[in-house]
Amino acid sequence: MTGPADTPEPDESESPHPVTGLDDVVHQRVRLGILTIAHEARRVEFGYLRTQLELTAGNLSQHLGVLETAGLVEIEKGYAGRRGRTWITLTAAGNTALAEEIGRLRQLIARVDTTDTREDR
Amino acid sequence: MTSDAVPASDPRRLLADVRDLARRVRLAQRVTWLPLLVLALVIFGAIPVYRYGRVVSDCQAVGDGQVCEVWFQTVTFYWLAALVLAYVVIAGGYLRVARARGVDARVLPYAVTGVALVGLGFALAAVWVRLNPLAYPEEPSAIAQSLFRLLDPPGAIGLALLVLAWLERHVALLLFAIGYLTVVLVPINFGWGAHWGPHTWFVPQLVINGGVLLLGSAGFALAQRLRRPR
Repeated sequence: MTGPADTPEPDESESPHPVTGLDDVVHQRVRLGILTIAHEARRVEFGYLRTQLELTAGNLSQHLGVLETAGLVEIEKGYAGRRGRTWITLTAAGNTALAEEIGRLRQLIARVDTTDTREDR
Repeated sequence: MTSDAVPASDPRRLLADVRDLARRVRLAQRVTWLPLLVLALVIFGAIPVYRYGRVVSDCQAVGDGQVCEVWFQTVTFYWLAALVLAYVVIAGGYLRVARARGVDARVLPYAVTGVALVGLGFALAAVWVRLNPLAYPEEPSAIAQSLFRLLDPPGAIGLALLVLAWLERHVALLLFAIGYLTVVLVPINFGWGAHWGPHTWFVPQLVINGGVLLLGSAGFALAQRLRRPR
């Protein structure tokens, strides 16, 4: 018979650390910024991303390429008058990946806070 | 966001950046002055329609005066047409401005809610008239009057603004919409029009409702201009 006294308390150190679940594609700061903006804006123009993230066109294109390859964003090229424009939309997978990343970041902060509190005692 | 001096693994900093970027996008999506201006114009436009667009019939002598049936079909048609057109203009304007800034807008649920509330208001009024033809000339109860005011076009405009405030996570617009609804629900006319006769009783309330929206439009436009980076 196993009574409550015999049940070991769940040890936090045995559960996987939130860091292990972080996805390198999403966790990168610029790419996380792209996903955040695309999520909030529904559809965002290349120029807006470049301005907000303060990147060169080449650098931004590289990050977008990584996200597009991973299936997290869709890139659509078109025209507004005579000007060429590139619009970026978050895919369903991108939406999920962003939500999971933010969830893991929150877990990580909670974990760090808990550890700090224990060490302070 | 671009400073590499901050370690990428700092979750607090990452989350703060995420929140800041989301906030900046929401600011870029806002064109709050536009719906307030368009709707104020619609309300002001209703004044001549109320004045000249009503049909008086079946007058009966009561005491020293007379009681008549007044039909506002033209007014009803004006509100329906003007508000549907207004919400189309607002949605188009929002999308145009937001896209010129490089983002998309979250305005469609607002426009759909606005049109739906107008339709609902008129449907409820039609049902009320059909169910209570003999109640006339008795006044409806205070609760019914508040409900009517809320679903009247000026009230429905305020309810839809609450939806816009929620969509844009815009606290200032939320407070403005609550204030506007208070003015709609608790009619204030400072005694204006008390002796203006039966042709102008509607003017003070429409002027106040439209004026509040117009002032709000000017305020939000000014705030947006001051916030814009130079």
